[in-house]
Amino acid sequence: MAKQATSPIAKTARLLDLVPFISTHQGIAIKDLAKEFAVSTEELLDDLNTLWMCGLPGYTPLELIDLSFESGYVSIRNAEILQKVRLLTKEELVVIAIGLDFLKESLSKDREDLLLAIGSLQGKIKSLIGDIAQVTPTVDSSHRAIILRALKERRNLEIEYHSLIRDQITTRAITPLELGEDRGVEVLLAYCNSAKGFRTFRLDNVKKAELLDSSEVISNSKKDSEELFRAKCRVDARLRTTFERFRLETDLATAATLSSRKGITVEVTSFSQDWLVRNFMSTLANTEITEPAELAKTVGAKAQATLELYKNPHFSS
Amino acid sequence: MSRKTERLVNLTIALLATKRYITKSEIFRTVDGYEGTAESKERMFERDKDDLRNLGIEIEVGSFDPLFEDEAGYRIKPDRYQFQLGEVTSQEISLLSLAAEAWRGAALDGSALTALRKLHAIGIESDIESIPDLAPHANIRDKNLQIAIGAITSRQKITFKYLSEELTEQDRKIAPYAVTSRYGHWYLYGMDLEKLGIRSFRIDRISGDISPEGKTGSFEVENNFDLASLSSNVDEVRKAVIYLRAGRAIALRSRSVSSSTQSDVAGWDKVELSFRDTERFIEELLWYGDDAIVISPKDVRDEIVKRLELGVKRYG
Repeated sequence: MAKQATSPIAKTARLLDLVPFISTHQGIAIKDLAKEFAVSTEELLDDLNTLWMCGLPGYTPLELIDLSFESGYVSIRNAEILQKVRLLTKEELVVIAIGLDFLKESLSKDREDLLLAIGSLQGKIKSLIGDIAQVTPTVDSSHRAIILRALKERRNLEIEYHSLIRDQITTRAITPLELGEDRGVEVLLAYCNSAKGFRTFRLDNVKKAELLDSSEVISNSKKDSEELFRAKCRVDARLRTTFERFRLETDLATAATLSSRKGITVEVTSFSQDWLVRNFMSTLANTEITEPAELAKTVGAKAQATLELYKNPHFSS
Repeated sequence: MSRKTERLVNLTIALLATKRYITKSEIFRTVDGYEGTAESKERMFERDKDDLRNLGIEIEVGSFDPLFEDEAGYRIKPDRYQFQLGEVTSQEISLLSLAAEAWRGAALDGSALTALRKLHAIGIESDIESIPDLAPHANIRDKNLQIAIGAITSRQKITFKYLSEELTEQDRKIAPYAVTSRYGHWYLYGMDLEKLGIRSFRIDRISGDISPEGKTGSFEVENNFDLASLSSNVDEVRKAVIYLRAGRAIALRSRSVSSSTQSDVAGWDKVELSFRDTERFIEELLWYGDDAIVISPKDVRDEIVKRLELGVKRYG
């Protein structure tokens, strides 16, 4: 583990937490203790040596905390005063409160016992810190647990996946490779046996996940070269929302282009032409495609087809 | 070994062990580590008190002897020092630990780690078998979330630059009240000290770092602030009637509030759903192109037709 300098304050906090921990885990191995407190063995030994010098005023052997750790195992005596587990700080309580929100949403309704237990813990925490955090998770924690297990055990998965671009829910057999993040959304990189290629799946769009018995290693040979689609467009209004929609960095919009008031010309890219078409449909009022011409034509045709339906008497209001 | 750490631990022990208030001079005389001139001891002690307070350890100040106008005394009340959630069962320990685990590798993982340590120190085996396999994850690394939560819990005002819809940076100064997460985005709520009203801010639209301003404990949360009603009631709810091509527009369909999707047009379903932000709703409907045709409200339908006509004229 990388040696990092700890501030005296952080070290103090650790010492105060070490005492109750060792008290309830008498005889714990030094390396396990270091792991629990996420420090190196040297740092932990330094902690124990410091603790050894502490105690009640007087500081005779009668008052000092008594530690033994030469054998590689730690036990503690004469530390009654610090034996109580410290209170949770407000920030720690917020962290737990939000975590409980995440859990609650993923429990099935028939686990009423757990829902009640979570409710009572949240009530206790709320009475201590007030109502300062509320979270509605988008990812189902039980699906995520299955994905983690598949990664760990190198097993394949069957998932039900909602593709927003294709606007359909499909069932696919996949070989999960790793979890990652894409602009604030957790994603799973996997080889999709149905599509015969590597795909990225947003965890919030995984509707079901099941472990498969097969763990066949999938050949990497068929790595498909996906085509990247590019388009140029001018953004005239709702800049922030439109930039976020097209996943553009906002610092592309420099002060100079902003002050010109003629909109900003940007390049947008995607592996999916469909995604581009849908986004240009959504932003008809704020964007104008300048190239390529074929893309502009596709969007025009889509607008035309939609407009015709609006003119159809079946759909009149 | 650190003398400072040693002194802080010894001070904590001395203040915890005492049943009565002990005076500063008693502390200087008996607690190991206070050395130097009277003035430097004084400074040391003041700093130590602040440091312990920052660790969440509350030092009570009281009069040493109520009969005399004596010098102030200090102590730490054991019940303000120790774990405050009371007796917990092994199942509760598992739930609390799992909740903290959600922050591994995310913003606030430092606090999650220290919380876990305390939970483990209680020494009750967790009863993880009684809980279904869950792996919650707070998918946010933004440092500003931690700064915001720190300011909320310590009631400290904050300033930051916020990206406007025109992509310009606006200076904001707020008294932060709460954070929420919905649809995968994190929001910060607070009293806007210039606009004098409750406002919400998407944390990823804050440009640069949030800066805490002034002292802690410098504001009170408005009495009528209600997080539950705020986060779900930003705009007025409106109803829309939409035709959806059978099997298409799955996300819209799943939000339908009508019990039947039957329609008088073959190959199409008719659904009713509610929306708040009109502009966003229009953009969402256009995403589905000729798979979603809105019938009402009229202003939404008219606006969509207008935009489609613009698109045909421009690209057709």
